[in-house]
Amino acid sequence: MNSKDIFLDETIHQPTRLRMMTMLVSQPEDGRLAYGFIQKTLGLTGGNLTTHLRKLEEAGYLAMTKEFVDSKPRTWVQASEAGRIAFTDYLSNLEKALNWPPST
Amino acid sequence: MQRTELTPEEGWRTIHRTMAQSYSSLYLAGTGYILLLWGALVSVYFFALFAIAELAPGFEANYPWYPGPLWVIIGTPGMIGSALIGHWEGSRNADHSTARSAGLRVFAFWMAVVAAAFLVSGTAGLWSEDGAEKIPHVTIGIISLGYVLFGIMHLPALVVVGIGMAAAFYIPDYFAGDFAALGTGAGMLAVTLFGAAWIHKSGQA
Repeated sequence: MNSKDIFLDETIHQPTRLRMMTMLVSQPEDGRLAYGFIQKTLGLTGGNLTTHLRKLEEAGYLAMTKEFVDSKPRTWVQASEAGRIAFTDYLSNLEKALNWPPST
Repeated sequence: MQRTELTPEEGWRTIHRTMAQSYSSLYLAGTGYILLLWGALVSVYFFALFAIAELAPGFEANYPWYPGPLWVIIGTPGMIGSALIGHWEGSRNADHSTARSAGLRVFAFWMAVVAAAFLVSGTAGLWSEDGAEKIPHVTIGIISLGYVLFGIMHLPALVVVGIGMAAAFYIPDYFAGDFAALGTGAGMLAVTLFGAAWIHKSGQA
């Protein structure tokens, strides 16, 4: 076994999606972030953000809900339970990869 | 074209950087607008001082303590406005209580600055008939320092606003004589508009 055999979830291990997941899982479990806030913080175009959010949503890592606030649509994004578990696993494997080879 | 491969080290750094960026954006929502609101209110205060001195020359002699109540009249909408902006901006970004309390944190920071200005001027013995006219010199210095420190930590535009506010007060005070309050009001307004344009352009508010 070498460091390349350590599994890093490709859905998360992509620069933009990793930043998105980091933002989402660092919120309280019931905490949702606004689509516009994620876009502004990460400096992404709407199209780029939607593409990556869809990919994470298809993997079951997040949920998107649309609500109307003062007659204006607002999209909220929230990490799912599966997303939090996947991110925790990703962190654990990332740590292994960073510390490879393990000290004896 | 965007890279799709990350080394583990890059992944680790990305996580830390994003967390810091995310917390900063979330917890300081509306800070730029709040501080610019206060810049505008300080301008109004100095314009009012000038207008009263010009239009009602006897007023100051009869009510030498009037800058205190005037500041309360101007500061009250500032405090309410700060809380509303912080709450509104925080609620737009996230739907949990930590984000919504952004306004409270900024409010607490500025209350600490105001308390420092009060205590420093009191300790220096300025709360007396002879020293009273020097209170604004100390207060503006401490408030400008607050802007500079806050700017260094979170929003670089505010460093320039803080230095500009100090210059807008001390330069007219030294050179402009009876027109000092007018010069300070105009200078504060110019600095505030400059800060607003900078923050709006950079999208940092």
